[in-house]
Amino acid sequence: MSSRANKKQAAKVVREQIARERARARRVWVSIAAVAVLVIAGLVGWGVYSSQRSSSFTAPAHATANGDGLVVGAGPKTVELYLDFICPACRNFEESGGSSLNQMAAANKIKLVYHPVAFLDRASTTQYSTRSAAAAGCASDAGKLPEFVQAMYANQPPEGSAGLSNDQIIQLAHRAGITGSGFDTCVRDGKYRPWVQHVTDAAVSRGVTGTPTVFVEGKQVEARLPAITQALGGGPVG
Amino acid sequence: MSITDRWVEARPWLGTLARLGLAAVWMIAGGTKIGDLAASGRAVAAYKLMPVEVARVVGAALPFVELALGVLLLVGLATRLAAAISAALFIVYIVGIAAAWARGLNIDCGCFSRGGELAPGQHANYLPEILRDVGFLAVAGFLVSWPRTRLALDEWLFRGETA
Repeated sequence: MSSRANKKQAAKVVREQIARERARARRVWVSIAAVAVLVIAGLVGWGVYSSQRSSSFTAPAHATANGDGLVVGAGPKTVELYLDFICPACRNFEESGGSSLNQMAAANKIKLVYHPVAFLDRASTTQYSTRSAAAAGCASDAGKLPEFVQAMYANQPPEGSAGLSNDQIIQLAHRAGITGSGFDTCVRDGKYRPWVQHVTDAAVSRGVTGTPTVFVEGKQVEARLPAITQALGGGPVG
Repeated sequence: MSITDRWVEARPWLGTLARLGLAAVWMIAGGTKIGDLAASGRAVAAYKLMPVEVARVVGAALPFVELALGVLLLVGLATRLAAAISAALFIVYIVGIAAAWARGLNIDCGCFSRGGELAPGQHANYLPEILRDVGFLAVAGFLVSWPRTRLALDEWLFRGETA
């Protein structure tokens, strides 16, 4: 080989070496950028969620001490019910056991605590879970929560629909015996929407991730009336 | 043309298919969750694998990370890294679902949906979910092994570089 060919060869090796180095540097920078994109995406998610959470809320009348439930009755033992107004299993529960529980509460045999949560906002196109749970707060203000709950489940909209409009909820409430314009404006203004978020967050913090969920004296039991009466000590129903 | 030659020729296009498929998976998974970040946090909390406050952070961040992964794969930027992170996430999901199954939890996996505990009478069916994620894991594995795909930004950025 001539020395000229050797030099050419050497220059080529060096060029290739430089190209490889550059490519490697590019690769490192692209990787760093990609990781940065993912990290920033995660932070954006956290930021969006944080900004969506409101920190202050007003609890309705008859709320529990920590504000995450609505109390009916004043019996010695406490039955807590986590419910979502668009959840079909909650309607089944309400139809099979709701009236018995409400009678026990009305007779002050139990303290019945309703926790209206908004787990299923995506099951309607209008955040029906949040709106209806907020309306339950308004019904508690009016002192007619059990009647309201019953009327709402008797007219439960199907999952995937727009749900009941605020006006329809108000009409149902009127038929269930709620009077006065306070309720109407309370529903229309979404007065208790921040409170519903509080109830929902508190439920999750307690480990409740589905509805209906029932606690008797602070212990979770199967969401069926026989299991509840058994946990209460097998006393007569109703 | 030998079979090996055909394979070498077809591989970058197969990779493109894998990359776009995985991109679609992430964009659908992230997109269905992004509208209700609180629900996403509940879905994570339902696995009962971490404190609720941590689950809320993870649940809020995850849909955005999934979408970002989808975009990286869609444009073909840092394909091997994105595929490796995808594979790691699929392994985490598979372990999470298997753990929920093993502990007898009755939850919606929250994979492309709202998640949370299932109603009484509804029973979780974990096996198809695990098998699906194993399939996604295999696709991600393909891209980790052969990250050079056609119609990718990587192809343009690293052109002239030997594989």
